Amino acid sequence: MSQIKRLVLDVLKPHEPTNVEVASAIGDIRDVDGVNLSLYEVDQQTENVKITVEGIDVDYDLVLQTIENLGGVVHSVDEIIAGKKIVEEEETLHDRG
Amino acid sequence: MSFNIEEGRYIILGSIDGLLATLGIIMGVSVVSASNAVIVSAAFGGAIALALTNGLGSYLAESTIEHGKLAITEKSLLRKLNNTYVESQSRRKIAKDAISSGGASFIGSLIPLAPWIFSVGSVAASVGLSLISLVALGIYSAYISRQSYAISVVKMVGLGTLIVIAVQLLRIGHLVQ
Repeated sequence: MSQIKRLVLDVLKPHEPTNVEVASAIGDIRDVDGVNLSLYEVDQQTENVKITVEGIDVDYDLVLQTIENLGGVVHSVDEIIAGKKIVEEEETLHDRG
Repeated sequence: MSFNIEEGRYIILGSIDGLLATLGIIMGVSVVSASNAVIVSAAFGGAIALALTNGLGSYLAESTIEHGKLAITEKSLLRKLNNTYVESQSRRKIAKDAISSGGASFIGSLIPLAPWIFSVGSVAASVGLSLISLVALGIYSAYISRQSYAISVVKMVGLGTLIVIAVQLLRIGHLVQ
């Protein structure tokens, strides 16, 4: 199976643990080179965050397990880049239209 | 290690409880007996009972609240939080609060009891040590709440003085009878 280079996840999490703790925990997973966590919605009990994980060979199951252990729920996997190199999405006429 | 404001709640509650309840026991028992052994026995028994009830009471109360909070969070997340870091932190908080409450109560109880344990006991010494402890508690309370140290100390000592007066009036009432 090819290596996952980037994952972008839409996650719903409780306020505790904090976003700092969640990002640190994911960053500590082996083969993860970097994590970007951004908050885009907050309510009384929960917050929605977008988590971008990059690495040489990101283990999705480990990332999922870490997020769930911290009380989060993965709503959707918004982007995955897999293979030997990172391939960015190309804008087509359809997107520009 | 960062200071957690929440930890102050049970330390203050437990300390005041142990301190003033034990002082009350000492003042009450001293009316009917001047024996050091009797006073130490009664007050120490009270100290143990207070520590256990405060600890257990806090454990039960915090368990209820923390499980309630978890249930609300689970409802929002549409998932269970069993065996997660979140649940383990909840359990840790419950245990910590119970130990803080019971422990603070027991330590608070030892303060008015200390002169009697060392056989230099007198009601005046117990009251004096208790008031000094209340000053310390007032300073601690002000440190946590970021409010005026003077006001906090006056409140704490005022409360303690009221209780001493109330128990003293009961002692006098008993003697008059």
